Amino acid sequence: MRLGLWLVIFSSLVVLSCTKKQKAEYGLKHEETLKINITSEPPSMDWSKSTDTTSALIQDNIMEGLVEYNFSDPDLGLLPSLAKEWTSTNNAQTWTFTLREGVKWNDGTPLTAQHVVDGWERLLRPSTASQYAYFLFGIKDATKYNKGEYKDFSQVGVKINDKGQIVVNLEAPQSYFPYLLTHHCTYPVRLDLIKKYGEDKWTDPKNIVTLGPYNLKTWDHDKAIVLERNETYYGEKAKTKNILAYMINEKSTAITLFETGKLDVQTPLPSAELSVLRKKEGYQENGILSLYYYGMNTAKPPMDNLNVRKAIAHAIDRNQITTMLSGGQKPLSGWVPSGMLGHEPTTGTKFDAAKAKEFLNKAGFKDPSKMPKIELAYNTNEDHKRIAENVQAQLKKNLGISVEIKNEEWKSYLGKLKSDTPHIYRMGWVADFPDPDNFLNLMTSYSDNNHTKWGNPEFDKLINKAVSINNKEARRSLYSKAQKILTEDDVAVVPIYSGVMHVLINKRVKNYPINVMDRRKFKKVVLQ
Amino acid sequence: MIDKLKGLAFPALVLWILILTLNSFLGFEMAAPVLWATAGLIVIAFAAYVVKMKIFSYIISRFIEAFLTLVAVATFTFLLLRVLPGGPFDQEKTLPPEVMENIAKKYNLDAPIYEQYIDYIKGVFTFDFGESYKYIGRPISEMLVESMPASIELGIYSLILAFLIGIPAGVWAASRHNKFTDRILMFFSISGVALPVFVVSPILILIFCYKFELLPAAMWSGTAYYILPVLALGTRPAATIARLTRASVLEVIASDYIRTAKAKGLSETAVLFKHVLKNSLIPVLTYAGPLVAGLLSGSFIIEQIHAIPGLAKHFVQSVTNRDYPLIMGVTLLYSAILIASNLLVDILYSYFDPRIKLS
Repeated sequence: MRLGLWLVIFSSLVVLSCTKKQKAEYGLKHEETLKINITSEPPSMDWSKSTDTTSALIQDNIMEGLVEYNFSDPDLGLLPSLAKEWTSTNNAQTWTFTLREGVKWNDGTPLTAQHVVDGWERLLRPSTASQYAYFLFGIKDATKYNKGEYKDFSQVGVKINDKGQIVVNLEAPQSYFPYLLTHHCTYPVRLDLIKKYGEDKWTDPKNIVTLGPYNLKTWDHDKAIVLERNETYYGEKAKTKNILAYMINEKSTAITLFETGKLDVQTPLPSAELSVLRKKEGYQENGILSLYYYGMNTAKPPMDNLNVRKAIAHAIDRNQITTMLSGGQKPLSGWVPSGMLGHEPTTGTKFDAAKAKEFLNKAGFKDPSKMPKIELAYNTNEDHKRIAENVQAQLKKNLGISVEIKNEEWKSYLGKLKSDTPHIYRMGWVADFPDPDNFLNLMTSYSDNNHTKWGNPEFDKLINKAVSINNKEARRSLYSKAQKILTEDDVAVVPIYSGVMHVLINKRVKNYPINVMDRRKFKKVVLQ
Repeated sequence: MIDKLKGLAFPALVLWILILTLNSFLGFEMAAPVLWATAGLIVIAFAAYVVKMKIFSYIISRFIEAFLTLVAVATFTFLLLRVLPGGPFDQEKTLPPEVMENIAKKYNLDAPIYEQYIDYIKGVFTFDFGESYKYIGRPISEMLVESMPASIELGIYSLILAFLIGIPAGVWAASRHNKFTDRILMFFSISGVALPVFVVSPILILIFCYKFELLPAAMWSGTAYYILPVLALGTRPAATIARLTRASVLEVIASDYIRTAKAKGLSETAVLFKHVLKNSLIPVLTYAGPLVAGLLSGSFIIEQIHAIPGLAKHFVQSVTNRDYPLIMGVTLLYSAILIASNLLVDILYSYFDPRIKLS
């Protein structure tokens, strides 16, 4: 009995000591809050170090760069942001940026040119070990600073002149240089605060100081991020007071939340359910600057035979693939995705079964069964699998050859591309900046991203020339020639389609940002 | 005194967990001093039990064993990771060699393997598991500590649900052996065992969140949020426990000492709960050890479907990302929980069945 008494005393003590746990509702009003889903925890809020799109989405709303995209311009021009104007001299090799006056960080400190230069220095500093350091490798001697050969940043081609302008000297002319400054890795930083709070802690919501239209209010790891309007923002203030960004990875759960009004916007959408979802109110799709392609290892027999590569490229009907995917992807035969300078629907190999057969005969495989085994590889993913199986079936039907499809987990797959590139492999590319150089540079003979073992000096020359001139039409014609070499003459790659993004938007949301770079800045979003 | 404390140990532990769970389930939290005081009391009670039962040297030897196991786990994981193709910084957009060099230097990946290993093991002993490669600048220990509560809560709620449903259902079914109740209960339990969580969860969401909008589908911010994931995760162990309990009760009922108890004229209920139940819990306990470890370290599918900020995603994503320090961290954590719960189960054996001697 004594034991029972003990237990009663003990448990009542425990019960009495309880207090109400705080609710994680974030105390936001529905009519003032845009609720979005960023699907996962952003790896880092440090814009010099992060490399993923989730972190970038938050950073793009709490910070700004020197310039920003003008998405209403079909040619994707630039608008002034922290810089009010910029000029290039010396044939696009020297760039001068003039800062806007009156911009203040949200702790009241005025923005200076030094903050911008500090950002670039920190990005390139070897100890930062930033993966995006190469963004600024075009600046004179920036690579040497990143390698640690130069210890003093004043040796690098970035100066602040007496007028307070930032003057950048490049290694070689780079017509797209200002575009790089739309990217979060080039945003200004506050070294004083990084020093005060430490490399890893300065991005905590209680420490971080920013200057964009929103402030980082709460960062509840693995749950949600709350952004609140920055009332001291230099430009037009954000229209919606709060952004509540949940981290819900499961698409079907997120869609349930969207359907029941607990989420205003959901992207991405599960591709297998697109045929149903696209009929829903609030569904939208938009092309983005990305490319899905098959590369061919031109050193591995029988792919070393140009006619075999031509036969395969002609035997794949891209329309059939995009129809199967039914996600609004655009079939692509050239290398530059649609919506960008240099995109040409006419360039590249077109589907032609008779011609394909002819090339196969020319290659010496009149009897397709004599063809050595060809391996087609992709990284494990339902969509990649559907595409690979479709291509396998097309090659069987149109050429009579059997390819073996093989999948591997993502990182193993990347390892394999480097060590033992398969005959045919799947790859993709999403634009870092909307310039054809970003795409065509991939296939230069010296590019680390070119796994085809193919290289053509003529192609390299065209790419290097095109980047050094500022005239659009002249560049267009050079890129056209280069694409012909890559996809028609030498056929090292088979482009399949250019990408598309899908989104569900609640009807109370107006002006939701949808654009070819999938940059989401929410300052203009209005809730009704 | 020691006798009394020993008697208090297990009921107190069970009661403590129940109260704690109920409170946290209802969204309350305890004042820290009380929490520590109760925890202290339980530790003392346990110590008393250990002294009384003379199993001190047994516990020490188990601790040494556990330590060696953890070192072996750390070593094997470390080596396997280096054999695994694809590195942590391989990605779609290949990085220039200069950049890769800086990264390798920062994370000490350019040092010889044995040096990296020695550094790592040194770190483990000081509870410094390094920084995540993916979540730049975040210490692994901090990440684990932050994501553990949600997983532990989810695990304990489901575990308690499983025991609360499973054991009575099993006893009831056994007492109505081969009758209608038994058949119905066993029908439900075999269905429960057969239904995987990735089927149960979406069905629950469809009914309770989509059709009727009664409960939230995702997140982990209060009582209403706990219900669906706990139901989904608890169903299967509940069904398994019911089957195990039933089988074991049926076996015990047939034994001589139960016949003696009945012959003494004790009531059916008294026999069932005082004599049969305690002795039939051994197989359930055997099952409970790994179950506790599994539930406490989270359920990847449930956490994914219900967007619960728990530990489980790290088990999968850290490997996909080749986030070496995080992989090592979660592997060691899981091993430690598994070892601890097995030790606890072994001690519980001797409590429930005095014929079992620990040595």
